[in-house]
Amino acid sequence: MRAVALLCYGLGSWVAGVGVATAEGFLGADQGKFLLTAGFSQLEGAGGGGLVPLALITGYGSSDSWGANAHFTNIQLKDFQLRTYGAAVGALDRVEVSYTRHEFDVTGTALDGLGTAQDIVGVKVRLWGNAVYQQDSWVPQLAVGAEYQKNEGITNAANVGLAGVVSAKQLGASSEHGTDYYIAATKIFLAQSLVVNVAVRATKANEFGLLGFGGDLKNTYSFKPEGTVAYLLTRRLAVGSEIRTRPHNLSIDDESTGYDVFAAWAPTKNISLVAAYLNLGGILGPATGVNRHQDGPYISVQAGF
Amino acid sequence: MARRILGCLLLAAAGVAGSAAAGGGGPTLYDRIGGEAKLRATVHEFVLIMESDDRINFTFANTDLKKFEQLLFEQICNLTDGGCKYTGRDMYTSHAKLNITNAQFNALAEDLYEAFDRVHVPYRLQNKVVALLAPMQRDVVKDQAVPQDVAEGKVPPPPRPAK
Repeated sequence: MRAVALLCYGLGSWVAGVGVATAEGFLGADQGKFLLTAGFSQLEGAGGGGLVPLALITGYGSSDSWGANAHFTNIQLKDFQLRTYGAAVGALDRVEVSYTRHEFDVTGTALDGLGTAQDIVGVKVRLWGNAVYQQDSWVPQLAVGAEYQKNEGITNAANVGLAGVVSAKQLGASSEHGTDYYIAATKIFLAQSLVVNVAVRATKANEFGLLGFGGDLKNTYSFKPEGTVAYLLTRRLAVGSEIRTRPHNLSIDDESTGYDVFAAWAPTKNISLVAAYLNLGGILGPATGVNRHQDGPYISVQAGF
Repeated sequence: MARRILGCLLLAAAGVAGSAAAGGGGPTLYDRIGGEAKLRATVHEFVLIMESDDRINFTFANTDLKKFEQLLFEQICNLTDGGCKYTGRDMYTSHAKLNITNAQFNALAEDLYEAFDRVHVPYRLQNKVVALLAPMQRDVVKDQAVPQDVAEGKVPPPPRPAK
């Protein structure tokens, strides 16, 4: 198989043993996409960057084919850790379906040991445009998506003196499940080796849903802008930055805007690695009394075709 | 802070718009990639790579590759403001009998990147050339399969649809 690698930007993920080495011709998978267009799995599992979805459909399947990705991501902030893993399938360069699991642990502060987890199912549909071919036009590739999230509740609360707390609802959240909706516009300015992406998300999620949805401060949808810029250094390496504004629904939390800078490397179309530095601002500051920026490394491996 | 950074993103996009629209003085892209010698070397490498690329070489089964190499040189020279006249047929007509897919179109672009690499044209300039070629996808790749009688040359292909 020709390993002409595609560059990728965005933040990725991994999984072992998907059998991708034989992917060419595998059930019609053509790995036929142009440079840079496979995307990676963003935090909630959609094809995109680390924090922000792109309008691109995940995987290297062309408009006549399909592709898939599996990912593993580890984020270690100062006092919190998040591991995510999951898989996504893209079909006909039109539709994408993803499943991702989040496992979140408090690793510092007085709440050290507290944990939670959630499952996320996402769907994305490309409405129009092609981020690659339309180099003579300003029309971006445009997609809409939805992410349904179901939080499993809080574990180990008794160990930190919060006996009986098993749900984010006991911390002020209105619900343990919720659905985000987003629209994303992506343009690859090939002549400038630049990728520019803007998205707007309608969300009630607290800390990506890890602290439930809606809260004592606000229980309605917020419309929050997000964005990505990436510079393509080589066919296999890109660097860039993302920003994701977020609502503040919970009084026990000091949720704020998240940022990252990243480098994404794709030695082949079948595997890619991302190293990023992420800053999510304050997390649970009012509850822990620890008011500091929660920043740290984001490492992600992705395998697919 | 968040608003400022988002503003920055938009400004970056606007800046890209400005620089893309600006033309004018300075060396042409043709000059920057290294002129005739470099471009001829590139298209020569490209034909070699493409001939051994099983994803697309069969689509050139009935092509005079010497002539193809010359026409590709003319076409890229013309697009990069090298002052050449492209003497071949337009992309719609020259691909009218072929069922070219997006995957094949993209494979060809990958081979062109590879050819540029082999002759050491910088990646950012490679992207500038591919940016000029990418819109040809609309004329090369078919929305629907070409009818058998058209593919066999018994019936002339339909005219290029209006944009």
